Amino acid sequence: MQRAIERRGIPTVSVTVARDVTEHAKPPRAVFVPFMMGHHFGVPFHRELQRRIVREALGRLAEAEQSGEIRDIPVTWAQARREGIAIERGMGLRDERRPE
Amino acid sequence: MTATSSDRGQLRPGLWATVNERYPGSMITKRDLVPLARLAKPLAESRLTFVSTAGVQPKGTLPFDVAHPVGDYSFRRVPSTATPADLEIHQLKYPTAGANRDLNVIFPIERLRELAAEGTIGGLTPSFFSFIGYNMDPERLERTLAEEIAAAVAADGAEAALLAPA
Repeated sequence: MQRAIERRGIPTVSVTVARDVTEHAKPPRAVFVPFMMGHHFGVPFHRELQRRIVREALGRLAEAEQSGEIRDIPVTWAQARREGIAIERGMGLRDERRPE
Repeated sequence: MTATSSDRGQLRPGLWATVNERYPGSMITKRDLVPLARLAKPLAESRLTFVSTAGVQPKGTLPFDVAHPVGDYSFRRVPSTATPADLEIHQLKYPTAGANRDLNVIFPIERLRELAAEGTIGGLTPSFFSFIGYNMDPERLERTLAEEIAAAVAADGAEAALLAPA
């Protein structure tokens, strides 16, 4: 998919949570985040993290020099979860009586 | 399945090998690299599109066929002006615990609009593009759906594309 778009002269970048799958598919540009499947841009209500993943990915459009390179974004799922829980507490969305 | 150096840090290691073992030939493997296309203008002046395999679609459009044994090779347009309340997800292959509460974790439509409004991105295409990742025939996918979406992306005036293969 990504390769088909790039072949039409449109620069592309993907966000992947499966580095091995991406290494096989060899898209032109990718960033890898070690997040849970279905959570490529982080955790609910964590706008700053979601924006960061988008911006880091888009940054590759101008910066990447070699096709096929996969850039790791230095984030962890545990940290994203912790921050997400704190944000939800602040929003009053998390029931404090229930365990995490 | 043990982790290899190639999937360091991946929360579900060995995904490619696991799926390929059960469904041989279903996973994409390429040997060659596609030459890089270049941004003609800075990102702040470029029109961006978003392509997702997350099965996100406008409410009221034909649901993706999540039960078809070889997958659904159709796509839906998602207006880039849509709100999460306008959209729903039809797919079975990734956890939607986060997306059900905040769609932006897999389909960051509000973040993209913010970045466009702030001028980080020059603009957004009228449509974003969505399909489901459960497609067991990669050659068919490449021959049909990939070309159809690539053509639609170009026709929508995209000058750059962000993709999120779920």
